[in-house]
Amino acid sequence: MSLHTLIIEPFATLAFMRAALVACLALALMNGAVGTLLVLRRMSLDGEVLSHAVMPGAAVGFLYAGPSPLWLSLGGLASGLAVAALGGLITRGGARRDAALVAFYLVALSLGVLLVAWRGSNVDVMRVLFGTVLAIDRRALLEIAAVSSIIVLVIAAFYRPLAIGAIDPGFLRAVGARAPYGALFSTLVVLALVASFQAFGTLLAVGPMLLPAAAARCWGLGAAMSMALATGFAFAASVAGLLLSYYVNLPSGPAIVLAAGLLFGISLAAANVLRRLAPIIGRNV
Amino acid sequence: MQADGRVILNNVTVRYGRRIALEAVSGEFPAGSLTAVVGANGAGKSTLLAAIAGVVRLAGGTVNCAARQRLAYLPQLAAIDCDYPLTVAELIALGGWREFGAFRSPGAALRARAAAAAETVGLAGRLGRPIGEISVGELQRALFARLAVQDAAVILLDEPFAAIDAQTLPVLLDQVTRWHREGRTVIAVVHDLDLVQDRFPLTLVLAQRCIAWGATETALPAMAA
Repeated sequence: MSLHTLIIEPFATLAFMRAALVACLALALMNGAVGTLLVLRRMSLDGEVLSHAVMPGAAVGFLYAGPSPLWLSLGGLASGLAVAALGGLITRGGARRDAALVAFYLVALSLGVLLVAWRGSNVDVMRVLFGTVLAIDRRALLEIAAVSSIIVLVIAAFYRPLAIGAIDPGFLRAVGARAPYGALFSTLVVLALVASFQAFGTLLAVGPMLLPAAAARCWGLGAAMSMALATGFAFAASVAGLLLSYYVNLPSGPAIVLAAGLLFGISLAAANVLRRLAPIIGRNV
Repeated sequence: MQADGRVILNNVTVRYGRRIALEAVSGEFPAGSLTAVVGANGAGKSTLLAAIAGVVRLAGGTVNCAARQRLAYLPQLAAIDCDYPLTVAELIALGGWREFGAFRSPGAALRARAAAAAETVGLAGRLGRPIGEISVGELQRALFARLAVQDAAVILLDEPFAAIDAQTLPVLLDQVTRWHREGRTVIAVVHDLDLVQDRFPLTLVLAQRCIAWGATETALPAMAA
């Protein structure tokens, strides 16, 4: 079997594999940037919580209109933004932030599952939890591509304050940059999660966002290069995961996240080896 | 710079919940003055600087600072995330944020100023280093260089000399003296009373309230009492 038949043919012959690949590429473009900012701002837990916050709203959309991507997305967007706003209030109130976030996560997840199970089948629940990357239609593809483009453009425009806010937020405020960049970023994260929702479901959506970014951060690059590498990792994991699910007949969402997890493991190990070699080869990593 | 560098406190009061951190502090830091703020732990020294910088809400009173737009504030060290992939040069250039803003990159002139500021604090050879790979003392030097780039009329330093090594201390002190000579108003929280005696013409002694405020030789003995 040639490499061509092994890697290219599944995508060349099957339309649903092609659609999944394009969707993953579009998601990778935005996930590389959003995920890197999440990791740099130390907001991985926030990302995880927001991904579940999308769930109850999406479930309400599902109850209202059945499995229509538009209503799922609108509902998810609404509840995601509501929780992001509530999360901001909690931090200001001074409650234990991590405990409060996890409480949100559990409540949102349970509420979402209950709502979907109330009117839908077990298949519907699984679909909402783990996504259906192989069932992406043209309309969903357009939605993903549009959201991804908007996010990449907004991050390009606001790159500096979004990135700097991560190092020294007090300084930004002190020099007069008082625009609500934190809220802007939370909104971007929720948008990205809603776009990923159909492909990866509420449990996995944050995976293709965080894992490639965390893997890219291991290589000691600057923020911008780290974003580029994360995008590359996200896409590589998507191709690998899709092929794995095709050949071994496994669910593709978890296969993609697992491939991303593998890349993270390799990166961690490589960073460790490089750090040990640094004194020998005389270069700092 | 002389005219607007004054900071006038009028019955400044700050509470954290029910606890009073600062009570009815009134007085004036003259333009171009160099003042040490001293007091025991919990005396409200950091709170006073935060109040002047406008980052805590006042429970009462007013802070009158005409140079609010040209005020630079260096909080205690821990606030910086050193894991962040940023070079020393980039950190220093951030001092010019007001000039280049959120959407442009620092221009060549600003980068040259940043390099010059790095040179005066002895960091010329460290410009390309990530901030995670320099020592605590070097990071504090870089933050001082960033303050220098900010070109502020009023400079607030919260324990700038805590946990600083013996090589770095004189460099930082020289920079403070240079700011004083340039006519900037400098207010620093300092723990080392000998340092205050040697280097700071004015002293404010705090214990929630203002205990003494004036020339160091007359105000500082109140600290021992």
